[in-house]
Amino acid sequence: MGKASVLLLVLLTIISFAACEKDDICVEGDTPLLVILFFDVDNPTVEKPVPNLRIIGLEKDSVVNTIVDRSSSLDSIGIPLRIDQNNTGFSFITGSADDENDMETGNIDTLTFNYETKEVFISRACGFVANYEGLTDDLSADTDNWIESIEIVTSSIENSATAHVKIFH
Amino acid sequence: MLRYFISACFILCFLTGRSQGKPIDLQPKDTLVYKEPYGLRAGIDLSRPALSFLNDDYTGFEIVGDYRLTQKLYLAAELGNEKKTQQEELGNLDSGNLGELYNYTTSGSYIKLGIDHNTYENWYGMNNAIHIGGRYAYSTFSQTLNNYQIFDSNRYWNPEGFVQGATEPEEFSGLNASWLEFVLGLKVELFAHIYLGASVRLGYLITDKASDRFPNLWIPGFNKITDGSNFGVGYNYSLSYFIPLYKKAKKPKKKEVETLE
Repeated sequence: MGKASVLLLVLLTIISFAACEKDDICVEGDTPLLVILFFDVDNPTVEKPVPNLRIIGLEKDSVVNTIVDRSSSLDSIGIPLRIDQNNTGFSFITGSADDENDMETGNIDTLTFNYETKEVFISRACGFVANYEGLTDDLSADTDNWIESIEIVTSSIENSATAHVKIFH
Repeated sequence: MLRYFISACFILCFLTGRSQGKPIDLQPKDTLVYKEPYGLRAGIDLSRPALSFLNDDYTGFEIVGDYRLTQKLYLAAELGNEKKTQQEELGNLDSGNLGELYNYTTSGSYIKLGIDHNTYENWYGMNNAIHIGGRYAYSTFSQTLNNYQIFDSNRYWNPEGFVQGATEPEEFSGLNASWLEFVLGLKVELFAHIYLGASVRLGYLITDKASDRFPNLWIPGFNKITDGSNFGVGYNYSLSYFIPLYKKAKKPKKKEVETLE
């Protein structure tokens, strides 16, 4: 009887290993956001939030979902880049407000980012995420740019922890 | 005349004296020795063809065999080939299945070699076994990534689903892996040299050669590889035939002999 109970215990242990399965929730990684810091163009080391900042993706009607719309206290933001093409354009609006006809009265600057996407396998639960490299910026010049200059801190975007772009205004 | 009579009496007395020399043996020994059959046992696994029939995404078969070395030790081997297609999906979300993540097919063969030790005491004439043992296993296989999507927790640009990755299937070939297995099983003689066997296995992965782009998620013979763990489990359910080659006497157990004083 002793031998049979030992064998039964070993059998149950092996079966329990088969039953164990890690939760298939993706927590190990994600496609990173583009992190932008805003600085004062007159004092380049001082961070300066943008008043009533609104960001809308080009070809989209809705505002970007990663920041509070028309906030005046943001000096660092993260915005999503398109994975299905090699460039993403945004309308950066300062002093954003609506007039009586629901038309935008703030100063709109159109900024486009160009990059290459790279697919990276993270884990069984996540699968592939996108990383970006070779980041460059392209500011459309208009009559009144509120963005004075742009500096690319790092051209390779692999996580949302560090800043990738500095905007001076 | 009388001399012959006396000589005859003396001879007869002497002879009768000799016949009483040995003590009477009350425990006659059976000189017939029980010999156990030794030979080669070969068969197939029944669960893999059954799963191939029931499951469209899986095909496989396995050949099992063993050879008796000593009364309790067997040299055992399994040889198999498996092909499995799997789809990984986003799970455990309240909104149900948000989307597919990737779909891949693994196909390859494996071989396992090892020793089984029979821990069961067979009664006279029976040949059943409850065995524990170990195997060293090696598998060569290839993986094909059929299609995949890019995981993005931000739904701004693609609210309806994930962006599709490359549509052409990618193949990663020349992959291999090796592992150690601990086996626990039993074999029962049904009738006339036909055995039914079942076993469970716990494997520990030693080497795992994978491509840089896509890791090995499932290995033929080892089954699913869990993130961050080298352990895997498997089982088999076999039907085999025993080919007797020779017979060998069963080693007698040491018994305590009671001596009568």
